[in-house]
Amino acid sequence: MNFEAVIGLEIHVEMKTKSKMFSSAPIDFKAEPNTLVAPLDMAFPGTMPIVNKEAVRNAIRVAHALHMQIDHELWFDRKNYFYSDLPKGYQITQQDRPIGKEGYLEIEVNGIKKKCEIERIHMEEDTCMQHHFSSYSLLDYNRAGIPLIEIVSKPVLRSGLEARKYVEKIREIVTFANVSDGKMEEGSLRCDVNISIRPYGVETFGTKVEIKNLNSLAHIEKAIDFETKRQSELLLLGKKVQQETRRFDEAKKETVLMRVKTEAADYKYFVEPNIPPIKISDEFINNAIETCPELYDEKLERFLNNYSLNLTDAKIILSNVDYANYYDSCAKYTSNYQNLANFFISSILGYLNKAMIDIKDFNVDPKYISELVDLLKSKEINSTQGADIFAKLIKENRSPLKIKEETGATLISDEDKIRQLVLEVISLNPTLPSDFKAGKTRAQGFVMGQIMRKTGGKINPAIANKIIVEELNK
Amino acid sequence: MKEVNKDVLKDASLRLMFTMEEEEYDLLLEEFHIIQTQLGLMSKIEGVDDVTPMTFPFDVSIDYLREDEAKTPLSKEDALKNAKNVKDGQIKLPKVVG
Repeated sequence: MNFEAVIGLEIHVEMKTKSKMFSSAPIDFKAEPNTLVAPLDMAFPGTMPIVNKEAVRNAIRVAHALHMQIDHELWFDRKNYFYSDLPKGYQITQQDRPIGKEGYLEIEVNGIKKKCEIERIHMEEDTCMQHHFSSYSLLDYNRAGIPLIEIVSKPVLRSGLEARKYVEKIREIVTFANVSDGKMEEGSLRCDVNISIRPYGVETFGTKVEIKNLNSLAHIEKAIDFETKRQSELLLLGKKVQQETRRFDEAKKETVLMRVKTEAADYKYFVEPNIPPIKISDEFINNAIETCPELYDEKLERFLNNYSLNLTDAKIILSNVDYANYYDSCAKYTSNYQNLANFFISSILGYLNKAMIDIKDFNVDPKYISELVDLLKSKEINSTQGADIFAKLIKENRSPLKIKEETGATLISDEDKIRQLVLEVISLNPTLPSDFKAGKTRAQGFVMGQIMRKTGGKINPAIANKIIVEELNK
Repeated sequence: MKEVNKDVLKDASLRLMFTMEEEEYDLLLEEFHIIQTQLGLMSKIEGVDDVTPMTFPFDVSIDYLREDEAKTPLSKEDALKNAKNVKDGQIKLPKVVG
């Protein structure tokens, strides 16, 4: 019997706001533990939650990108549970009236497009960070209260690859909209998977298993594929799939049991009494949408149409929103867009990769990159000189033109000078013109090699080739 | 209306992951009886079933959202002042996962 997987995803996205969802405590992932905590985050009596405007704006942008109906009134609820990561004893979330509902996302798998329905998107606050050791746990409340959006898909995905593509697309939206840095490995985008299997053609759902805390796209795909196989094998052996929570063991590349679920958790949701309903005007919603930074698909179209880049290069540059933004900044200063793309991919990304640094820490002024690309394109310098100037540029962040002048890194483009060098070579090898005319094209390469050797490679090759051919034809 | 007795309270507290002393359950049960008596009285008001229940005491909505500006948080010392045990600037407690 063949089974199909039925997969739904819950994605939590940590927003890049300056302050928390309901308090004014700052957000900085690198800060010392428990140094970014407001009284509200620790549930001190008398403190009241006040909703962060930017978080609402972000949620609207994502809801719009996912083609959702946006609620014009904000309602929050308390999700009650007793656990050490929640000092209040409840999490403020949006259970009954999410800010966005009934949307979809289009993914492409193996060349086939699929519309994935999305049930809801809601805002909530993050819990504190817990570090577990052998006999104790440590709590850091810096994370408590960071704004989150949760995006809940309908159970419409059917394979690990589809789920991976779906998460990739969500990640693209939240990073390009500047809502989140979307770093799965650092926990700013977290994914829980609900998966069951059923024989093909059957409409009812099988028993659902939850896989928690998947922290990379590859793990999502692998965990789902493993889980589909595990559940299929159980059913084929006549066994039952248990309702349980599992996690992905990276070393074993398989899912392992965390706990068996006995019944659905009862969170005793009720409306958050400390936040009255908040009306959101059309003007606010429209403004949030209109001012949303350009999303991936629009950017890709622009890179292909306005910059005339090839698809492969455009996709490499768009693989990271910060790459794309840096490229855009450089493109303001040159019209050699494809040369810029080539330089960006080979030299800049090559350097970042080798030095293991983030592009945010790459401090070269974009206009200098464009200046260097133009110098290379005009053949005023060759690729070796370009690489030398680039190395200096990284250290000194100053004009490549000035570096070129100071270091004498320039190609000889003076036609008279080049002609003189060519004639010297021919006079020492008088048979070259007749060889060339007889079809021995190596003669041309020989002359070029000689003059390059004489000048240490500083001849402008395009001009030199023209002159060599002229002289050999005489 | 569902009868609230001690077993119901114990079941609810277990679901919320806490337990209490017997006398605390007794006290809570007494309070519930007072609330239930009051609700019973209200349900006798004529036409009460025709009134839409309200979530807030006043039918009010606001349009205020806080600007996203970070303000000075608590000092680390203040933030940790109520903690029984602190280690490496973090609150230390018995291990909470298996």
